[in-house]
Amino acid sequence: MSSVREVVAALDLWRIWWRLGIQDLRLRFRRSVLGVGWLLVQLVVMILAVGVIYGSLLGQDLRTFLPFLTVGLVVWSFLTASIVEGGLALVASEGYIKQIGLSIHVYILRFFVSVSISGAINLVAYAIVAAVYRVPVGWGILWVIPGLVLLSLIGLLFMVIFAHLNARFRDTTHLAAVGMQVLFYITPVLWPAEMLRGRRLGWIVDVNPFYHLLEAIRQPLLSSRPATLENYLVGLALAASLGVVASGVVAFYSRRIVYLL
Amino acid sequence: MARLTVREVVVEFKADAYLRTTLKATFLDLFWPRRASPRTVRALRDVSLDIVAGERIGLIGPNGAGKTTLLKVMAGIYPPQAGEVHVEGRVCPLFEFATGFEMDATGWDNIRTRALLLGMTARQIEEQIEEIGRFAELGEFLDVPVRCYSSGMLLRLTFATSTAVEPEILLLDEVMASGDASFIQRARARMDQMMERAHIVVFATHALDLLPKICERTIWLDHGRIVLDGHTADVVSAYLDDVERRRD
Repeated sequence: MSSVREVVAALDLWRIWWRLGIQDLRLRFRRSVLGVGWLLVQLVVMILAVGVIYGSLLGQDLRTFLPFLTVGLVVWSFLTASIVEGGLALVASEGYIKQIGLSIHVYILRFFVSVSISGAINLVAYAIVAAVYRVPVGWGILWVIPGLVLLSLIGLLFMVIFAHLNARFRDTTHLAAVGMQVLFYITPVLWPAEMLRGRRLGWIVDVNPFYHLLEAIRQPLLSSRPATLENYLVGLALAASLGVVASGVVAFYSRRIVYLL
Repeated sequence: MARLTVREVVVEFKADAYLRTTLKATFLDLFWPRRASPRTVRALRDVSLDIVAGERIGLIGPNGAGKTTLLKVMAGIYPPQAGEVHVEGRVCPLFEFATGFEMDATGWDNIRTRALLLGMTARQIEEQIEEIGRFAELGEFLDVPVRCYSSGMLLRLTFATSTAVEPEILLLDEVMASGDASFIQRARARMDQMMERAHIVVFATHALDLLPKICERTIWLDHGRIVLDGHTADVVSAYLDDVERRRD
């Protein structure tokens, strides 16, 4: 009960976490000439390197493969950031937590702001790639909105979970990052799911909730149509189970966090 | 009206959580337990207090008595493991000034952030920021990232910001450790003003000679318990007697 109140109190302080989040972004890029542009450079280099090599290895047409790859990398980097940076949210805010008695969720939302904005900037990079390769656009592209909402929700839940766990066990984030690395290779980010389906290994993809989440964003962006019902349902199921884990973690750890920092 | 009630509060620190801070260590301990058994340190044991508007309260006691912990419970920073804390009124905590900065941000940015965290609105901040900067007397250093500040300069920055907030309940923890003489003088004056405006002041101190001038009621803590709660003169003399007795 009191943890619900804490979360609501934190949401109400949006001015604070919004400002802190923006400040974090600004500070990260303050000393660089390109500023936030570095995010784009990073992505573009990755896309070109991976795109050209994997594209030819897998015998893909670059005009469709590069936009495909870009969406995948944008989504994946958001998920990874929500785990790795989310893990820092409470640990890095120790100074404030121990001096000012605000709800600790303020600091999780602070990191959610900066991670989400980085993600949004990466989406702009996708828009550029899509424009260059003339990906056809129709009204169906609006189906990306539910996909993005789902993705943000999942990212936020990851942040809540790992922010807490990492405050207790400081190596949680490292472990999770390794896990994400493994998942990255078995999830169709770099290669189209159809390639596995052709080899009767489609089940590997189908049991992977991250594949369905990816589809919920890829389909609308790449072909201006909704993903399958199954994609959305699995995505929702993932969000729901993360939601259960997150509430458990919050109920168990939130009030102890300050003692763990 | 401001009011602060603490009822049978217990605060414990688990040494366990500090010894095994990684999954790896926890996992290894399952198979190769270390000799050090997990301990619990009780920082506050059944502390009860009722403070009403208009009161100025001194907190005294030896190091490790629980003064800071009690202040942090009042500020809502430490949720107690047992007991209740009721706070009516806006709390302004002035604790250790060495943490809670964005090291790469400028002095001005840190003032804004801290003021916001302490509950000032954006407009209040813009109205007061000049004055805060002036009080801090940091001049053009305010345009420099606080990474380059000395501890005394950090103290100036936080003190100036924190005391710009209109406090209802002011919680102070022996804060003047690193400031030069002139700043300490100005800070004292400002603190006096602030204490006059605040409805409730609780402050932990070792400066026993100053205490009777500031507050009527004093609480003596030792080992997480309230030893004595009463008139400042009585409590201070009892405390000093006790210190004497222990020396003999």
